[in-house]
Amino acid sequence: MPLQQGSARMRQRTVLLVGIAVLLAALVLAVVLASLLTHGRHEVRPKMLQWKDRGTTKNLQEVVLGRCYSYITAQHPELGDKDCLKIWESLKDAFIYKNPCNITPEDYQPLMELASHPIPCNKSLFWSKTGDLVHRYTKSNQNFLTLEDTLLGYMADRVSWCGDPSAPGINYESCPKRNECENNPSSVFWKMASKMFAEAACGVVQVMLNGSVEAGAFRSSSIFGSIEIFNLDPDKVSEVHIWLMQNLGGPQSESCSGQSIQRLISILEERNFKIICEDNYRPVQLLQCVHNPDHRDCRLCTNSTAIS
Amino acid sequence: MMVSLFYPLFFVSVLCMNSFSGVQGKKWKGEGTTQNLESIFIGRCYDYIRTVNPAVGEKNCSQIWEAFKNAFINKNPCNILPKDYELFINLTFHTIPPNKSLFWENNQLLVSSFAGRGLRYMSLSDTLFGFVGNLLNWCGQENSPGLDYESCPTAMECENNAVDSFWRMTSIIYAQHSSGVIQVLLNGSAEGGAYPQTGFFADYEIPNLQKDKISQVLIWVVDDIEGPDLDSCGTNSVKILENRLETLGYDVTCTDNYKSVMFLLCLDNPDHSKCAFASSAPAAQRGPISSDRGGSWNKLMFVSFAVFLFRFALVY
Repeated sequence: MPLQQGSARMRQRTVLLVGIAVLLAALVLAVVLASLLTHGRHEVRPKMLQWKDRGTTKNLQEVVLGRCYSYITAQHPELGDKDCLKIWESLKDAFIYKNPCNITPEDYQPLMELASHPIPCNKSLFWSKTGDLVHRYTKSNQNFLTLEDTLLGYMADRVSWCGDPSAPGINYESCPKRNECENNPSSVFWKMASKMFAEAACGVVQVMLNGSVEAGAFRSSSIFGSIEIFNLDPDKVSEVHIWLMQNLGGPQSESCSGQSIQRLISILEERNFKIICEDNYRPVQLLQCVHNPDHRDCRLCTNSTAIS
Repeated sequence: MMVSLFYPLFFVSVLCMNSFSGVQGKKWKGEGTTQNLESIFIGRCYDYIRTVNPAVGEKNCSQIWEAFKNAFINKNPCNILPKDYELFINLTFHTIPPNKSLFWENNQLLVSSFAGRGLRYMSLSDTLFGFVGNLLNWCGQENSPGLDYESCPTAMECENNAVDSFWRMTSIIYAQHSSGVIQVLLNGSAEGGAYPQTGFFADYEIPNLQKDKISQVLIWVVDDIEGPDLDSCGTNSVKILENRLETLGYDVTCTDNYKSVMFLLCLDNPDHSKCAFASSAPAAQRGPISSDRGGSWNKLMFVSFAVFLFRFALVY
């Protein structure tokens, strides 16, 4: 009898021990899991949004500030009263910590006001699909100014920027392409700056278009075609001179008599501007010849000096 | 007694001199340091490595500014030597692509346009070490860590000034690392000759060219469009240059009024006879098309009105 009692007690004790062990294990497991989860939650920081275009230019602040001071000190001392630090701050405030798909013109209003300056009459030079050539031209010929030769355009040219709601507020990895969202910092900036550049134009204005582009020299979807021509002030601007440039050696996709140019002319005439269109405006063609001097369109009537 | 009077007199006269120059305001005859020099310098440094020529890789622009500044601050502004910029050069150095070096004299703006921001040619101002200092001015002062914004010594006042020594040093480095075909653009209308026998090119660049790295020297002598033809290949100073280079063992070719550069000069003078094109495209393509609809409508209206009046007159 005592043996039976002993084994029953032992069984009870075993069950008890196993039960306690299981409980303990469950407790430990629970503690471990809990700590892992909370630890994990602390580690999950909000990640920056990812986009398809290149990110904010590194050292953007230094670059923009340096360009601003260079512009107002060396190139245009008449703008000496501009506050470059304030200008940089207003640019930064326009996009920092904001979702880069929700940028509005109001975001850029303070910057536009601080950085805008008057443009002398007869000097405004617009352009579409001729970026390389037009800027080589204004670099060599100070009689004309593109948007990128004004303070705003000079600071922003060839750099990129966008923000993000999470720290540090600026996204250096990527920025939205236009087809990802239309109201991105870059598109909104250039649209606004172009509008203001057109509004500031007076006298005779010029536009350099590309007569070697298949899609047509003038396109309604371009910034020139959708914003600039509609913001020229007929009370200030008297004439529009079109320079229709073709690549040396062609293709000669379009000339002044072409369809898209006729469309442009009618839009402008409706707004009471006088139009003159010139195929391959000579001074700019000379520039094209600089790096293609032996092209048959570049033969000079040299009669004196030694032939090169 | 004279001796005892000497020092007070000397002291007084020095004070007077100081206050006199204080009244005049400026210590030196040249323009002072460019305003906001530090921001412009550092901004240009980052602009270069981020947008102009990212191929040069990562650089510490604040460190570069410090090295640049330490070359001339807290020193006698008449005693700055090219080697004072050694650390600056070490931090900014990058190789120059072969066949792209463009040397020049008396045509700085033209060279800047022609080089196309380093795309076609890489002039000294298209390198990082030249880019940061281009068209800027600077100097320091003895016993003070500050830059002198009031005035800086001209070359006449002292040869070893901060700016000239900078360009001497950078010219030396630029020449030492040029290779392949090198180009030299000279101004055939310059008074004193297209090739100045004392100047950066003559004194600091030619002596530092590395003969074993250079295959050919192309000299272009271009006259101003409106300017006189004072110098050409094989004459005067250009002949001296050609001889000097040939004696040093270089393969030299010289061209007058190199067409590419001529076209660039013609931009400001497109109607000059030197700039007339030989080819003439069909009339339909050339010549402006002006919108004259306003004018032709007016004519039409006038004619219709005149006809109406005529008929009216006929009836009555």
